[in-house]
Amino acid sequence: MNLGQIAFYVLGATAIASGIGVIAFRNAVYSALSLILNLFCLALFFLMLNAIFLAAIQVLVYAGAIMVLFLFVVTMLTPEGGDAATVDRLGAMQRTAAIGLGIILAGAFGYILISQVRLSPSAMATGANDLFTVMNRDGNTEAFGLALFHGYLLPFEVTSVILVAAILGAVVLGRRTTSGSGLSAGSGLSAGSGPSAGSGPSAREE
Amino acid sequence: MPVPANALLFVSAMLFTIGVVGVLVRRNPLVIFMSIELMLNAVNLSFMTFANALHSVDGWIFVFLVLSVAAAEVVVGLAIIVSVFRTRQEIDVDDFNTMKG
Repeated sequence: MNLGQIAFYVLGATAIASGIGVIAFRNAVYSALSLILNLFCLALFFLMLNAIFLAAIQVLVYAGAIMVLFLFVVTMLTPEGGDAATVDRLGAMQRTAAIGLGIILAGAFGYILISQVRLSPSAMATGANDLFTVMNRDGNTEAFGLALFHGYLLPFEVTSVILVAAILGAVVLGRRTTSGSGLSAGSGLSAGSGPSAGSGPSAREE
Repeated sequence: MPVPANALLFVSAMLFTIGVVGVLVRRNPLVIFMSIELMLNAVNLSFMTFANALHSVDGWIFVFLVLSVAAAEVVVGLAIIVSVFRTRQEIDVDDFNTMKG
């Protein structure tokens, strides 16, 4: 057993354990921290798979940006009662059914993996398009950039449109209206579409 | 040190299953969102595994696109959760059936 295999087993065990931690912890903050550990494990997996640039992106975007947003919202939305107020009111039957379905899904994945995964050589990129050829010739990040800005330019542009739409959606949803309190979010949105809409200290607290 | 593709795919399948069980079991929408992130990352891992095994850069591009879409999805989803919390003062997925546009 060489060093790479040992690293793989340690990483795999940590990834699965932290994944279980995400759904098992009662406190949502612990779940978020467990998810950060899981994302780091995946970034290390990416490093093992020669994707240096994407490992860095994984750490920066996921652990750095998305999880900070998650933790911010988790700590902001924790109700007054603490954990007791967020305890899951789930029946034993429902929980058993969910875990049973999960075991069935895992079994199906395992069956597919054991029986049918055969990477056919005809599907492999060959010649000048071979990933490792490009990586050895131009470098790791350059190989990614060449593919992104040449072959996949349209999806890249569509991604920018999606991001702009998400920013606009977050701004609209997060806006506080001055007109009336106790409204639901939907009616607050329609009431706040006029010029009187604003945010800041003048917004009424509910 | 070539990592066997099947072992990585096994880890990916396990993570995806854990995410599915989390979505089914938990009531806190924040934890449900985290489980969805878990599933997205499991799929990312299998994309990377296939990219490495097939010597193709396509898997990398898909991981990049999934990452961007996940970021956008988290922003909008958390905004919705915060908006629900503002009106209900508690968050539970059972409350989301009263959401009207």
